[in-house]
Amino acid sequence: MVNDKGKASLFPLRLWLFSSAFFVIASLCVLFGYIFIQGGRELSLSFLTNTPQGFPLGVEGGIWPAIVGSFWFTTIACAFGSFLALPTAIFLAFYAKTTWIVSLCHFLIHSMAGIPSIILGLFGYTFFVVTLGFGVSLLSGGLILGIMIFPFIEVRVEKTLLEFPNNITQASISLGITKTWTLFHLILPGCMDDIAKTIALGGSFAMGATAPILFTGAVLFAPSPRSVFSPAMALSNHLYILVGQGISISKAYGTALVLIVLLLILNVVPLVINMCRKER
Amino acid sequence: MKKELIFVWACKALTLLAVSFLFFIFLFIAKESFMFFQKTPLLHFLTGSRWNPMADPPAFGLLPMIFATVYVSLLATAIALPIGVGMAIILSVLAPPKIQWLLLPLIDLMAGIPSVVYGFAGLMIIVKFFETHFSWSSGESVLAGGILLAIMILPYVVSTCYESMIKVLHHYERASRALSVSKWHMMRYLVIPTAKKAIFAALILSLSRAMGETMAVMMVIGNSPIFPHLFRKAETIPALIALEMGGAVVGSLHYQALFAAGLILMLVLFTFNSFFFFIRKHIDEGIKW
Repeated sequence: MVNDKGKASLFPLRLWLFSSAFFVIASLCVLFGYIFIQGGRELSLSFLTNTPQGFPLGVEGGIWPAIVGSFWFTTIACAFGSFLALPTAIFLAFYAKTTWIVSLCHFLIHSMAGIPSIILGLFGYTFFVVTLGFGVSLLSGGLILGIMIFPFIEVRVEKTLLEFPNNITQASISLGITKTWTLFHLILPGCMDDIAKTIALGGSFAMGATAPILFTGAVLFAPSPRSVFSPAMALSNHLYILVGQGISISKAYGTALVLIVLLLILNVVPLVINMCRKER
Repeated sequence: MKKELIFVWACKALTLLAVSFLFFIFLFIAKESFMFFQKTPLLHFLTGSRWNPMADPPAFGLLPMIFATVYVSLLATAIALPIGVGMAIILSVLAPPKIQWLLLPLIDLMAGIPSVVYGFAGLMIIVKFFETHFSWSSGESVLAGGILLAIMILPYVVSTCYESMIKVLHHYERASRALSVSKWHMMRYLVIPTAKKAIFAALILSLSRAMGETMAVMMVIGNSPIFPHLFRKAETIPALIALEMGGAVVGSLHYQALFAAGLILMLVLFTFNSFFFFIRKHIDEGIKW
């Protein structure tokens, strides 16, 4: 009897659990399937290597300048983001002595992570574009993307550093070796894979963002950028323009597919490298 | 020794620089907003129901946008929370390790898809569905925005809940096995009750994510500054900023009004995030026993 009762009351629970799993998996499949199938039709070598053409611009031709632009935005973002994040993570993990400073910094970094991307765009526009006079350029957009991915990189790198086996650090310090030497010769080489993976993930995050570069770096059309002070195209912004202004839905599918494939590469390559190293 | 000192000080300086960006951002947004509030009282800004920066005199009422932002986010959270919690329970308790190994990266990947791609897919799938199957004036609606946002915040809900559930499970695994407690029993009497805090944290996190989301919502919600209705167009605060910023002259009242809207959004999200931060800390310390 008890068993029966138990089974009867399990039914709604089961229904809820399995239908939610179904929903999550279904939306994943629909999302990827749709973009891969529709975008696959559009994909060709000329789409990848040509500049946008036709009237309005983007109806024909390809997305090469947007790929190059996205690459540079991402590179600057990763460089600036890690330039801030790595020392911060090292400081918080190894050198900060007072706990309240660490907690305060964690809280501030967490708050930075919660700033919506459009506010970052607004800040980038007033600070980098107008106040510092960088103009709408690769640099302004890249820097603001760097600020956006800073918390993401910092939190993960700090975690990696803290998870590094304690006995190695302790042994090294008890031999009278300085903390900095230990850090550069033992800890950082040991964590390099994970740090690189984190930066790549941060880069994928920056590459997909649109709102921060909407007024700071990305434009409707520009040739492949020549210097950091020239504005550039970006895949995410290009996709938004193609859809938002109803220029070409088929080109939009192609652009979305290219963007997702690039992000997948950024996500998967570090994993593969990791696996190869471990097998060796 | 000298090199060591230089390195430590460089780290300190860069940490300071990094965290001071938060203050920079806040200061810059606040500075422009205060210039706006000198001309338009805060109360008028918050309770005015008309937004028309081009009219003479211009009207800056943010209330419809505030309502729309809250409405869409609540709707999205209401959809995403039960589904996400369900998925997290399945993943942590029932799924064999192989399936977990397969699904967890996929769910992470879902969080990594850019919002503009979500917006595009939402426009092509959800909005189109509404337009072909219902006789609404347009498929772009609060409902479309809510459903799309729900899918976007799902990965956050799943991973927040999953992390804390897996901790609980590991903690009780031996005792439960020894007593041969069934998985379903563990789920009902251990996992779900102890996950309450995590679910609450997920709720706060997803609300704050949803409120700050720009591109995806902007692309499917229709963007007209009117009071929101489930089946009609609306405009959220981030969308308002993203759409009008390009057209506002630097230093004009309109420009400052957009900063003021940004400041309000930022303050609300800051409150939410601090809340999330402390709940999370509470959970982390509570689980350790």
